[in-house]
Amino acid sequence: MSILAKVIAWFADPAHWQGQDGIPTRLVEHLQLSAESVALGALIALPIGIGLGHLGIFGNLAIGVSNVGRAVPSFAILVIAFQVFGLGDTPIILALTALAIPPMVTNSYVALREVDPDIKDAARGMGYRQLAQLVRVELPLAVPLIMAGVRTSAVQVVATAALAALIAGGGFGRYIIDGLAQQDYAKEFAGAVLVAVLALATEMTLWGVEQLLVPRGIRLLRAPAAARVRTFKTA
Amino acid sequence: MNRIRGSVWLIAALAALATVAAACGGTTPAPATSKGTITVAGFNFPESSILAELYGQALAHDGYTVNYKLLLGTREVVAPAIKSGQIDLYPGYAATELEFYNSGAGEANGDAAATTDKLNGHLSSLGLVATTPSAAVDQNAFAVTKATQTKYNLTKLSDLSAIGDQLVLGAGPECPTRPFCQPGLKTTYGINFKAFKALDTDGPLTRAAFKNGTIQVGLVFSSDSDLHQLGLVVLQDDKHLENADNVVPVVRKAVATTEVTAVLNKVSAGLNTTDLVTMNGQVELLHQDADAVATAYLQQHNYFS
Repeated sequence: MSILAKVIAWFADPAHWQGQDGIPTRLVEHLQLSAESVALGALIALPIGIGLGHLGIFGNLAIGVSNVGRAVPSFAILVIAFQVFGLGDTPIILALTALAIPPMVTNSYVALREVDPDIKDAARGMGYRQLAQLVRVELPLAVPLIMAGVRTSAVQVVATAALAALIAGGGFGRYIIDGLAQQDYAKEFAGAVLVAVLALATEMTLWGVEQLLVPRGIRLLRAPAAARVRTFKTA
Repeated sequence: MNRIRGSVWLIAALAALATVAAACGGTTPAPATSKGTITVAGFNFPESSILAELYGQALAHDGYTVNYKLLLGTREVVAPAIKSGQIDLYPGYAATELEFYNSGAGEANGDAAATTDKLNGHLSSLGLVATTPSAAVDQNAFAVTKATQTKYNLTKLSDLSAIGDQLVLGAGPECPTRPFCQPGLKTTYGINFKAFKALDTDGPLTRAAFKNGTIQVGLVFSSDSDLHQLGLVVLQDDKHLENADNVVPVVRKAVATTEVTAVLNKVSAGLNTTDLVTMNGQVELLHQDADAVATAYLQQHNYFS
């Protein structure tokens, strides 16, 4: 039986869809670890990136510092954090958060810098104050790039969350680690497939979210000229 | 520049001298001449590094050039490496090796020599050979914390059969498929655990899981030096689930000359479990390097004289 047939048989086995080691349980674990890490990362990265981007200062410094999270291997952070915090989700979330921060800092900083200076001048001319200008003019325009950063982070985190199994954590990485240990290569391969599918699903879901968040004006700008004309007429 | 050139000349001169010495029919081999290169590997736990260093340093003392691939991985990584010739030797454990190479056929028993004979039956076609097993033994053992022991009044593994469904077993991720681990505990002792937690094989994850109460029963090794310090008690294997896991080097036949075998057998013959526990303690508790510990042992036991 080819490896592909074995992997399909593995997915077809109802035993793999229930219980403590079943796919639904592992999916919830994987999503939970990833979501917590990305959320924590966003909470740290977005205010820094957006704030500095708006002010146009310390950009290189912030991007450089946050890139440390990318330069230090997640595995190393995982192991060191395990030494400090012991068994549990904390070391995993720390390692993944460090991975999640850099793309969000970089993208949100650049997104704010890329807002057309003429528009900012116009906003100031209309009497907007700093905060109102940021929230009502710059942020909506920066949404596509910021969300691209969030998406990049999330996909990286979902793919890397498989490492959790190395320190006895849950998630789809469990199948990869256990499959290797048990010489069950169908299980190992299935784990890799599940991680990849989940990463793609994350990408597409966040792309959908991004479409919803992009202001109508930008969506219209991107639309074909004919559609634009029609919309403006009816508007 | 001059210093580099100087040392190049020195090496060239020494090499020439060695060649001349050899050509003159000297009976003692020049120390610089290697009898060959042997790559010694070890599994991913400290004791295996110590054993690999013991055998490796003994071979090096005998005139072989020894490369080390310590902490290479689990048996699933080490076995393919020796089959393909990427490594030449690793310190194995008789019964576990046998049950690995016979795909868990259950041939191993408590007799180290018989187990090794059967192992060699399986190794032969792979171009491998196991030398004479040592008296030193490192077996799977199942430990509980002192608190768990007191709570349930445990002394032996059969005591777990009645209360296993209240306890979580922790071991390496391969445990659910290994005959000496979860399946063996079930068939031999009738223990059905509440759950299984995939950790590591007797490493920091297992200790951390004992510490925060994630597991109540954990797989450890009989030669572990820190069990007492951790407040762990090994339960007696009263139905002999565990087989003769005596230390035995597994060597590629191409490397296992009479001389190499003699060197390995000498080390194996001198080694016992107490030595192993002592050396494990030096490495794991006193944080000495495996190579230094092995050197000290070999010096103490006059291997280098």
